[in-house]
Amino acid sequence: MPIDVGPRAAVHLLNRIGYGPRPGDVARILGTGLDRYVQGQLDAPADPELDSRLRGLITLDYPISQVLTLYNADQRSIGVILDELYTAKVIRAVHAQNQLQEVMVDFWFNHFNVYVQDGFARYSTGAYEREAIRPHALGRFRDLLGATAAHPAMLYFLDNYLSRANVTVGGRVVRGLNENYGRELLELHTVGVDAGYTQDHVIDAARCFTGWGIDNLNNSGRFTYRQAVHDTGAKSVFGLNLPAGGGKDDAEKLLDHLASHPKTASFIAKKLAERLVSDDPPPRVVDRAAAAFESTGGDIREVLRAILGSAEFWAEAFGAGKPKTPLEFVASALRAADAQVSNGRAVVAYLQNMGMPLYACVPPTGYSNRGADWINPSSQLYRMNFGLDLAAGAVAGVSADVRGVVRRMGGNSEDPGSVASTISAQIFGNGLSRSTLDAASRVAPGGSVSVAARVAGLCLASPEMQAR
Amino acid sequence: MAWDISRRMFLRGAGLAAVGVGFHPSSLLVRAAQAAEAGSRVLVQVFLRGGCDGLSVCVPFGDSEYYDLRGGIAIGRGELVNLDGHFGLHPALAPLKALYDDGRLALLPAVGNYALSRSHFDAQDFMESGTPGDKSTGTGWLERSIAKVPGDAVTEAVAFSAQLPRSFLGPEPVLVAQALSSFDLRARNWRAEAETLLRAMYDARDDALGHVGQETFAAMNVLLRTPAIMAPPAGGAVYPNAAIGTGLRQAAQIIKAGIGTRAIFVNVPGAFDTHANQLTAHTLEFTRIADALVAFARDLGALMDDVALMVTTEFGRVAFVNGSAGTDHGSAHCMILMGGRVRGGRVHGSWPGLARSQLYQERDVAVTTDFRDVFAEMARAQLGVDGSSLFPGYTPGPGPGIVA
Repeated sequence: MPIDVGPRAAVHLLNRIGYGPRPGDVARILGTGLDRYVQGQLDAPADPELDSRLRGLITLDYPISQVLTLYNADQRSIGVILDELYTAKVIRAVHAQNQLQEVMVDFWFNHFNVYVQDGFARYSTGAYEREAIRPHALGRFRDLLGATAAHPAMLYFLDNYLSRANVTVGGRVVRGLNENYGRELLELHTVGVDAGYTQDHVIDAARCFTGWGIDNLNNSGRFTYRQAVHDTGAKSVFGLNLPAGGGKDDAEKLLDHLASHPKTASFIAKKLAERLVSDDPPPRVVDRAAAAFESTGGDIREVLRAILGSAEFWAEAFGAGKPKTPLEFVASALRAADAQVSNGRAVVAYLQNMGMPLYACVPPTGYSNRGADWINPSSQLYRMNFGLDLAAGAVAGVSADVRGVVRRMGGNSEDPGSVASTISAQIFGNGLSRSTLDAASRVAPGGSVSVAARVAGLCLASPEMQAR
Repeated sequence: MAWDISRRMFLRGAGLAAVGVGFHPSSLLVRAAQAAEAGSRVLVQVFLRGGCDGLSVCVPFGDSEYYDLRGGIAIGRGELVNLDGHFGLHPALAPLKALYDDGRLALLPAVGNYALSRSHFDAQDFMESGTPGDKSTGTGWLERSIAKVPGDAVTEAVAFSAQLPRSFLGPEPVLVAQALSSFDLRARNWRAEAETLLRAMYDARDDALGHVGQETFAAMNVLLRTPAIMAPPAGGAVYPNAAIGTGLRQAAQIIKAGIGTRAIFVNVPGAFDTHANQLTAHTLEFTRIADALVAFARDLGALMDDVALMVTTEFGRVAFVNGSAGTDHGSAHCMILMGGRVRGGRVHGSWPGLARSQLYQERDVAVTTDFRDVFAEMARAQLGVDGSSLFPGYTPGPGPGIVA
């Protein structure tokens, strides 16, 4: 890979395939070599330290049936369960060694979005991420697609569990079909809205999935297939023709067809490049990623390798940067401050104010990967306040000792200029602008909030911190 | 294009506005004349995300096909609020009847555009850009409108939303706020120092990140200098505790404070994408809409004479019920319009009918009014903006005549 081995390149990599550098990270991955760091991120080995941080969150692995049992016994339990889900997300983003895996879990969850507050999704969103998204985040697209399609959370969120074949009774059509999943499968999950499919294709995609449902919403919440309500007529979806007489397999064949469709390769490639490279990624990197998708049958690791090995990816290290989403901003600030997260509740509230509550994007579209969509005065104010609060130790559930960090990194925590240049080196690859460094260095001595906390707060609230 | 001469330039030039306008003396005169006419009127757009079912807002109970098509989710004759013998309001919207009778509220069923598509995202995008079918438009329709209004306050255009709505996308400064009451830096014991130093960081930049920081501080100053903004609702108005309630409550606060706000966008995520069990969802959401609109009118009192509000959504839904007591994505939707100068007390536009041959693609309510005709009418009436150049590639028709 054509890699410029400098702090700037290291920071770029940490910002794009992860949630940004922690103090010390830049020197560490430069020592390892950026190539090897990327390979390690793609391998995603076990992370026992993260596991031990998550160990206290006992409901994290509960299957849907257990969540429902608890809920049926005491409705308050779901509040605890969701709190743990949110806290785990924050802890993983901030503390996981396998940063790329966490970025990809977030990316795919968002791609196959479900809204956590939507009825049965409350009890199944945790399982959905754990069972359908996480195992395949760096795996094969077809497996990911199949796992989401069959998961009760998705079957519920996009209403497929209710969809049945239309039947004619006494010359009258009794409608049973629900188009919701069929449409979003084409528009959002695979070939994309501009692929050229028609309304008839949407209807036939939905017909393929008739019978895919949930056995019981109140107790077990398991996938089930009901042949009796399956539409057994012939179907035609965007180049795939299925003869009459099919069953559950109609949908599997459709997923095979869509997962291997060139439009899916380019749609996914574009979206990944939008997340990892820039809001408007150069066509060359998109084409390269799409080609990798096609030639490997949708191997996500190889698509990532194609993007991360491109000149376009590395050129971004020296560009204006891509504005961070609220999650990217908050997680990167926590990492920059070397924060220890024990409870995510307060952090989640900040994200809510910034317009990005966790697991709570209502439309199936998911949150935008375009950084520019997240820049506005309201969000900006909450971002600045998060940076200031964090450095001052005022975010509940989070501990951050910026004085200690500055000292550990060789800076003088009582000298504003030294604090600012230490942060610039550790977190920005020496990329803080002259004006930002000057402003941060003008912090007055004394005062009830320490010099280090004020300077760090200003750096975390700075324009440079808003982009990655 | 005159609107490209951004007010941003004037804002940055602090005090140079008069000189700046001098670049375009003729457009200045036109703008000044239009502005004088429009005075201090306000345009409010409420956007219901998800595709709200028009047939349930304004129920065509007089259409012989309606009950057949809707089956178990049809609104019974006895439940709905009869408007004119043909249309009736959903029972949860009953509180709006008094405003309707008072001539301050109107309905426009069968509005939309076929190129909007049945995709939520595309349909919202096309409606907000005002260019259905063209995804490359870099600005929103409200941004282009407010750009033609003279003035340089950051609070001239306000969005109550977590994100900048596509409708306001473009170079014009827009205050995006979720909560006016907490719009301040929270650096306890060093607030002044924090503000000074952060301003220095953001003022030094002339890019998108710099601009948003500058706008944040500009907005903060206006809001902190105007305590009147925090006045509680007047006239005993009670807003529902939901996005449309908090949005309209704050819209009223900012209108009552009289700081020159001309265009307000209220973003409403909600349970409008009713693929299943829509009766329940509508009762919840329509109650909120009705309560919020009634509270808004009561809160503003006589100020409502200068306000025109429209409730829009990206598309309506299929004319027939689906297999899940819900409806799938369709075409035409129904707008609710309210204000002192709205020709209220009637159902506007022409009704396309619900017979199979009258439905679009044999499934959707057909479009009889292009949404841009309504937007253009609103922009002319409330902002004094000539709508003929507002929508690239489209010259709005005379309009449905909803706003005087």
